[in-house]
Amino acid sequence: MSTATHSVSIPATVSPVKAIAVKAQVKKRKPFHWKNSFWIANLLRIGMIAAVLVAWQIAADQGAINAFLMGSPAGIYKEAVRLIDTGQLWQDTYATVEATLIGFLVGSLSGAFCGLLLWCFPYVARILDPFFVALNGLPKIALAPMIIIWFGSGMLSKVALAFVATFIVSLLSAYQGTHQIDSSLVNLMRSLGATKRLIFLKLVIPSTLPWIIASFRLNIGFALIAEIGGEFIASDKGLGRMIFVSGNLFNLNAVWVGIMMLMVVAVVLYVIVSKIEKNILPWNSK
Amino acid sequence: METLDKDLALAQAQVAFSLKKVKKTFEDAQGNEVEVIKDITLDVRESEFISIVGPSGCGKTTMFNIISNLLPPTSGDIVHRKMNYKRVGTNIGYMLQRDLLFPWRTILENVVLGLEIEGIPADIRKHKALEYLQKYGLADFAGAYPHTLSGGMRQRVALIRTLITDPDIILLDEPFSALDYQTRLVLEEEIVSILRESGKTVVLITHDIGEAIAMSDRVAVMTQRPTSVKKVYDVGLARKHGSCLKARNDPLYSKFFDAIWADLDIQIGR
Repeated sequence: MSTATHSVSIPATVSPVKAIAVKAQVKKRKPFHWKNSFWIANLLRIGMIAAVLVAWQIAADQGAINAFLMGSPAGIYKEAVRLIDTGQLWQDTYATVEATLIGFLVGSLSGAFCGLLLWCFPYVARILDPFFVALNGLPKIALAPMIIIWFGSGMLSKVALAFVATFIVSLLSAYQGTHQIDSSLVNLMRSLGATKRLIFLKLVIPSTLPWIIASFRLNIGFALIAEIGGEFIASDKGLGRMIFVSGNLFNLNAVWVGIMMLMVVAVVLYVIVSKIEKNILPWNSK
Repeated sequence: METLDKDLALAQAQVAFSLKKVKKTFEDAQGNEVEVIKDITLDVRESEFISIVGPSGCGKTTMFNIISNLLPPTSGDIVHRKMNYKRVGTNIGYMLQRDLLFPWRTILENVVLGLEIEGIPADIRKHKALEYLQKYGLADFAGAYPHTLSGGMRQRVALIRTLITDPDIILLDEPFSALDYQTRLVLEEEIVSILRESGKTVVLITHDIGEAIAMSDRVAVMTQRPTSVKKVYDVGLARKHGSCLKARNDPLYSKFFDAIWADLDIQIGR
């Protein structure tokens, strides 16, 4: 029998050496191809943005488009410098990010938690299921006027809106995740003598994590939509308010500054969640 | 649950466990009763390797779930010699077709799963797991995630996970069917010798007649659904030759093969 064991363990010990040799060979042979270059791809991206901005500026200067209604890159730059100098841009960004993050975190985490708990109470889940579906389909921004009446025009109402927008998404995602668990895995746990509590802790939670994280990624977008929508309706600060007020005053350059700042915020939040995902789900990054 | 010690005749025959007139019916979507297992009466002896061969969909896996107490039988009894049924499957190890390794756990963490559930302290279970991994040539992969291993290695990890809790009875539910032929032959050989050395009682479900003959002391052939035991063959080729590969070359091998094939009465569609 030892022969069989050997025949399997030998390739295992040999493989690292082999792998290095193969890798070196591949590196030497691999010809340069511009489509694979990281730098060229990024240069192209920057070039595209620059081209659009230049074309836009020229069109505005020549009067081909109305700079008053469209804004212009030079005007946006001036407006951005002004808003940064007065500190208003940071204030608004901070207000928006703060409310979004709190609502997002509380909504997503508690939603995921409730979704997981439903695994323990399948009958409750069955009864509540149609309500979840209805609430999930509802555009949460429709609740904004009511929530602002309840919680005022300050930060609390924005947090509540982001919460409402993210809670059901995470709940449903986690709940559906628990349904994807292979029943053989549950049987395996049971055959090893696991109680329901242990099955929940050691099987249900970890195997649902990828679903929960996926819902977090969606929720960043949903939380921002709810946040900006709420600020449009009633608020005293925030990027949404800045965009709304500037738009009413036909200050299109300030509107663009707000939009661009929002894009930066969205990308940064998205990158953070992706980083967290890689750390929590190391087995998923192949 | 009575124990076999009370049943003198069975105790003397060294029976590990026995199924007595086990019957299982399910309800289908329309509420009709569907009989899956009609009547299984079978004694499984201590330290033997017995295979269950039957046409596909004949309720073999249901039978396994009943033996391991995951499903209650509709009627009939499973009598264990020294089984203590305080918890489900404490003395039964279960290994399935798919390795069912948890992708979020490293190989080491997967192997200790059973010990963890039993509440054994972390340092002891780690020590024991490393010992087992060392023994089966997988120590280098202790920290790796399952997706980095080949199918054969993963199945070997699943076997270690089953063995580490030291069960008296091991149920194998088509554990090789997802593997390529060579890996399969190697693993068959390996598993038979590991299990024989440890004196475990093994029940193997398979649809592969050759595998059943090559590995087993006895082969039980099942009927179509509703299932009952059709015939039991005393094979013992692997024990005689001390190798599954050599068992496949025994002249009796093809005789058993033909007999079991005829029993299964498989209709090949045209």
